[in-house]
Amino acid sequence: MNDTVLVLSIVSAIVAGTPILFATLGEILTERSGVMNLGVEGMMLIGGVTGFWAGVQTGNLWLALLAGGLAGAVLSGIHALLAISLRVNQIVSGLALVIVGGGLSAFWGNSGDAPLIQSFNGVRVEPLLPEALRDLPAVGPIVFGHDPVVYLSWLIVAAAGYFLYRTTPGLSLRAVGEDPAAADAAGLSVTGIRYLFTLVGGFGAGVGGAYLALVVLGTWQTGLTAGAGWIAVALVILAGWRPWLALLASYVFGALRTLGFTLQIAGVEVPSDFLNMIPFVVTFLVVIVVSANPERARRVGAPASLGEPYSREAR
Amino acid sequence: MAAVGETILEVRDLNKAFYGVAANDRVNFDLRAGEVHGLLGENGAGKSTLCSVLAGLYRPDSGEVRLDGQPVSLRSPHEAAEHGIGMVYQHFRLVPSLTVAENLVLGLKRQGFRLTLRAVQNRVAAIAEEYGLTVHPDSYVWQLSVGEQQRVEILKQLYRGARILILDEPTAVLAPHECEKLYEVVRHMAQQDHSVVLVSHKMEEILGHTDRVTVLRLGRNAGTVNTAETDAASLAAMMIGAEHMPEAGEHALRRFDDAPAVLSVANLEVVGDRGVTAVDGASIEVRRGQIVGVAGVAGNGQRELQEAIAGLRAISGGSIRLGERDITSASPRERSAAGLAYVPEDRLGTGLASGLTLEENLVLKSYREAPHSRWGVLSSRAIASTARDLAEGFDVRGARSQMAVSLMSGGNLQKAILARELTRTHDVLVAASPTRGLDLAATAAVRTHIRAETAHGRGVLLFSEDLAEITELADLIVVMSRGRIVGSYTPETLDIAELGLLMTGAQDQTAGPAESAAESQAGDPAGSPAG
Amino acid sequence: MSLRIGVEPRARPALPVRLGVPIASLAAAGLVGAVVIVISGANPLDAYQTMLDSSLKGWRPLTRTLVLATPLILTGLAAAVAFRMKVWNIGAEGQLYMGAIAAAGLAVALPSGTPKVLMLLVILVAGAVAGALWAGLAALPKAYFNTNEVITTLMLNFVALYFMNYLIFGSVSFWRDPQATFPQGKIIPEAALLPIISHRLHYGLLIALGAALVLWWSLRGTTWGFELRTIGDSPAASRYAGMSVRGKILSVLALSGALAGLAGAIEVSGVLKTLDPRAIATELGFTGIVVAAVARLNPLGVVPVAVLLGAVVASGTNLQTIGIEAEIVFLLQGLIFLFVASGEFFLSNRLVFSRPASAVGSA
Repeated sequence: MNDTVLVLSIVSAIVAGTPILFATLGEILTERSGVMNLGVEGMMLIGGVTGFWAGVQTGNLWLALLAGGLAGAVLSGIHALLAISLRVNQIVSGLALVIVGGGLSAFWGNSGDAPLIQSFNGVRVEPLLPEALRDLPAVGPIVFGHDPVVYLSWLIVAAAGYFLYRTTPGLSLRAVGEDPAAADAAGLSVTGIRYLFTLVGGFGAGVGGAYLALVVLGTWQTGLTAGAGWIAVALVILAGWRPWLALLASYVFGALRTLGFTLQIAGVEVPSDFLNMIPFVVTFLVVIVVSANPERARRVGAPASLGEPYSREAR
Repeated sequence: MAAVGETILEVRDLNKAFYGVAANDRVNFDLRAGEVHGLLGENGAGKSTLCSVLAGLYRPDSGEVRLDGQPVSLRSPHEAAEHGIGMVYQHFRLVPSLTVAENLVLGLKRQGFRLTLRAVQNRVAAIAEEYGLTVHPDSYVWQLSVGEQQRVEILKQLYRGARILILDEPTAVLAPHECEKLYEVVRHMAQQDHSVVLVSHKMEEILGHTDRVTVLRLGRNAGTVNTAETDAASLAAMMIGAEHMPEAGEHALRRFDDAPAVLSVANLEVVGDRGVTAVDGASIEVRRGQIVGVAGVAGNGQRELQEAIAGLRAISGGSIRLGERDITSASPRERSAAGLAYVPEDRLGTGLASGLTLEENLVLKSYREAPHSRWGVLSSRAIASTARDLAEGFDVRGARSQMAVSLMSGGNLQKAILARELTRTHDVLVAASPTRGLDLAATAAVRTHIRAETAHGRGVLLFSEDLAEITELADLIVVMSRGRIVGSYTPETLDIAELGLLMTGAQDQTAGPAESAAESQAGDPAGSPAG
Repeated sequence: MSLRIGVEPRARPALPVRLGVPIASLAAAGLVGAVVIVISGANPLDAYQTMLDSSLKGWRPLTRTLVLATPLILTGLAAAVAFRMKVWNIGAEGQLYMGAIAAAGLAVALPSGTPKVLMLLVILVAGAVAGALWAGLAALPKAYFNTNEVITTLMLNFVALYFMNYLIFGSVSFWRDPQATFPQGKIIPEAALLPIISHRLHYGLLIALGAALVLWWSLRGTTWGFELRTIGDSPAASRYAGMSVRGKILSVLALSGALAGLAGAIEVSGVLKTLDPRAIATELGFTGIVVAAVARLNPLGVVPVAVLLGAVVASGTNLQTIGIEAEIVFLLQGLIFLFVASGEFFLSNRLVFSRPASAVGSA
């Protein structure tokens, strides 16, 4: 039964959802600090090409993911500088990252004597757990059959949830995003915390891009994210800035990305374009429904200072 | 640690200026262990500047702060806290979406990586019990009432080991029963050898709940006295400088009993930003040719009253009439067209759009009218010509420049607003703090324009915290306190000392329904002379 | 004791500074671009020479640049007008697609014998209306519930993108050419093509320039523009002056969407001759936002900035001939923005270095 359509599609949803999950988690932490970085798509791309390059060079998945993450963090550092220190409009700065990241990744990915794609020998990604577990019916592939990165992502979700709600630095992060003036008065460094978590967000997006290139697709191609970064931006809202819900949402929308194929096998004709639309339509509707009722808006919990630069003098 | 009664904090010759204007001018202050020390003064007297220096928010230009006899430097709120100084601001520094306990530990260095709120809760419970500060540590701050939030702020300072607590106008935001609770907490703190600085402009509060009082006026010390050895009248005199007041009735006494009312506000009720009643059944009548001055300490509902009259704030009860016309539910534009001119308190941002040029700001209310525009097309020539005329008539500089008004001087801006408002057809002028922050020449010019209004048979409702201004200009002075009109004087019945008491809420002249003040047009010296 | 670095605003700087800073910013962007080119193993001087030759030197390269600049002018204006009122429409991308869809649809639907003037008028207006309506989906919630338009307009981009893909790739819709082997749109009739000025340069450029002029004038010279600027500058002052903010949100977003929709219609009518999702989804909307930001939201400033960025894009293919990947142009676009934006900051602020004054210092 482990190769039934249902089981296979759940597995592929998890695989397809994992890069989005990394990016979403990163953006959640960034936005929790009050900084909105719309450049996720660009950071994923730069992380993807860097991670892929590192994978080709080293053959080591972990080094490749680290390289991808660092590349994403470097790009997000530009956003941090512009948005936090120079108080450039965060929307514009984020969109500029999309353009820079897209351009730089395409430039790098295609240039040089031998384009990356041709020299790829493959990074070995082995399942983590013993075969006996993986062969269990249904739960085998769905729960035990994944590569180590998927388990790592689960760990990170748990860690992020713990960090946000059960640690003092997590408390500081939430306070800075909610009310930077109060956080400042309490002796926290608003600028420092915002920088740090903007970089963390970039790292997450970069890792997501690297995983997408190395594992999910096993190849680099220009613009390979195909909107995954934008889905992450939407999922941050749908998840209400909460890590656990991000896990759920990532897999649901990972499933949507593979659902068209699955349905085709099942003989159901639903145009894939409408499936692709769903995260965006849902987010659009949710944002409107939430905003129509202020009480609801409070419960959903967008960080109150999201997108607003802070300076002590301009209180 | 100093023993009770010993001086714990000393401020010597503190100077602090903002943009060349001295906010604190050689201020001295000392605080003893275990005392409640009142800091009294009008708005702009320098109380907040002094407190902000103590709280590490501002750095003094010169002067010295000593703690336990040692000079200290307080370079940030953090350093002040480390020295045991905690300040509770009027605008609370709490994160609404966090719980009480979370707010208490926020930013504390000695807290470990793990957030162990249970230990916090135990300590909070202990402190809360000791000082009578009952708050549930698990509640979210946004769910708490204003009084409860204030208790959290005090709790936060105590939790952080504050032994000197500065309370900035703590009762300004509280309902009466909550004030009593606060005073109880303050008393507890003094008993535990904490020192409390109680910043206030309310007389009863100072007299009833402090050991000593320091009065500031215009950035300088006006005196420090033992509370037990003083009374409201002498404190009011120190605070408003009654000896410098112009004698009542300096300008010709005029009577308005027969003049028709141009503005009638009846039983107005307005809810303020924080959901508390800001204007509580206020009634005021302005007659043709009359200047009615509203005296009062800032934050007693004046701003909300102005905005309600101008149509910028929703009202919850009462009515507003402009001459014969009921404008209670009219839009701001309709009110303006009906003959209401309004000079708001907030010059840049409300009175003027700060990024626009002076020319554009001068037609901010008439840009839709011919000749400034026809069919939606602006005539730059007509606008320039209007602007030139207005600038000439009111001595406004820079009308031709393409500079944003945010870069211009306050006096120039105020003259520009007056030029725009006074040259529109109107019957009533509502002006809020029209000379605040202006130099002498600009102040004189503004006052001349306001006086000229009456010559044209218009009525003026003048809000000002500057008593000298009100006594100089107004034909009728009403006193506003806690959202109500608590007294009224004509120049001949004016008693400055008593007015000071009314302003600070130490007395209620009418002691009856608020309307009586407005109806007593000729002035009814009902209140008893100050003790 | 550490040095404190503070930031304080400064008054409008002198003209040499105002001109010098953007030029220096461009130079810095070029410098960083050069470093990337060197790393990739090419000669930056050759690269920049090639770029100049292939985009601005001579009439033919110039027309290519202007063709690419035309939609950027319109999307730049779309962003500029909304951002002026601090309404953050980042949905020009989707509004442009909807404009393209409407224009292409009507172009093939109308009888091919329709007079050219009428045909062009209909499809261009239809494009603008479609863009405006699409923006309206975000404008209504913004005006009535104060819904954050950043999110709604952003989401609508992708809804429009996938809808457009569906019309051509996902179905045999009215827009798709049923005869073609590979999915592609129907070719629009001759009457629906914008006339050519020279080479491939079409009259859409004049429409874009006209729009820039009209918008520039409207902002300065009409009560509508006056209100828009006042609301964007000081919401409290605009309420005090009796302006209706809600109506303005609706009209500004509709206009912004219309400009983006017009850009889509012009791309179809002047360049693509069909609804080609791949060719039109090149982030013209997002780039327009960058154009507007670099132009400081000034409609006239949008034109040279769009031409500059258009020139950068135009030189992409020629760079390939000397062994540099065409995608470098997007990197250069981004670098230009990053540096100009930082330069902008130093135009309006100055850094102040100070040693923390000791609180016990005496006068």
